[in-house]
Amino acid sequence: MNSSGNSESSIDDESRDEPVEGWSVDQYIASVPDNCARFMEPFLDELARRGWSGRDEFGIRMAMEEAIMNAIDHGNRRDPSKTVHIVIRLTSARFFAKITDQGDGFDPLKLPDPTLEENLENSRGRGVMLIKRFVDSATYNQKGNSVELRKVRSRI
Amino acid sequence: MEPYECIDLVNMENVATITFKDKRIMDPAKIEQMGKELLSLVESHPSEKLIVNFENVRFFSSAAINKLLVLEKRVRAQGGSLRLSNLRPEVRDLFSYTKLDSVFTIEDESSPSF
Repeated sequence: MNSSGNSESSIDDESRDEPVEGWSVDQYIASVPDNCARFMEPFLDELARRGWSGRDEFGIRMAMEEAIMNAIDHGNRRDPSKTVHIVIRLTSARFFAKITDQGDGFDPLKLPDPTLEENLENSRGRGVMLIKRFVDSATYNQKGNSVELRKVRSRI
Repeated sequence: MEPYECIDLVNMENVATITFKDKRIMDPAKIEQMGKELLSLVESHPSEKLIVNFENVRFFSSAAINKLLVLEKRVRAQGGSLRLSNLRPEVRDLFSYTKLDSVFTIEDESSPSF
């Protein structure tokens, strides 16, 4: 894919001057729940290797796990013949990920607010709320089957 | 006492303190198992004071929170009490962002235990 266009909000453009070697992945995983943890383990090592820790690391972990599990559970309905496409670009200063499932999508604005008192003991909507809360931005595509996550490290 | 796969239990003066063996608590099968063990523990220790000690916990997903909510409901129904202690700042954030700090009693470092 040609990424020479300057209107792209790719992390490659944002992180061009960074001295630390970046890490990226472009992978399809089958929609089996265990695959989330299996995918996350090496990714967590890459985060740690680049100095991500504490609240920053926790936030990325939270957003990634919730987004992948949503894709597996709700998007692809645990159909092992369907895949979740995960793209990550990581440096010591910036994190970008795109998680896409093969489902029909959903409208994140139509989820109930899980922080309202009457919804506190109901899990619906909590995962998406956590995704949005723990990274700087979480942007869904119009169909609602793909989310882009971005976070800038708070201290180096 | 039956051995648990995901949790450890220390009983002292009518207070049962639970710790988690897995620091990350993210594998779905393990979360299911943890939920079952928490409930079986409440059944074998009804009306007791329970403390869930988070000192080992570096990550806690929304699926794991759901198990904790089920535990809280069960403990409340049995007339027992449940407290969460030793939460890392980022885990404490999770409970404030979700407003579940109004459902759970969370022990801050400065507050006394039972």
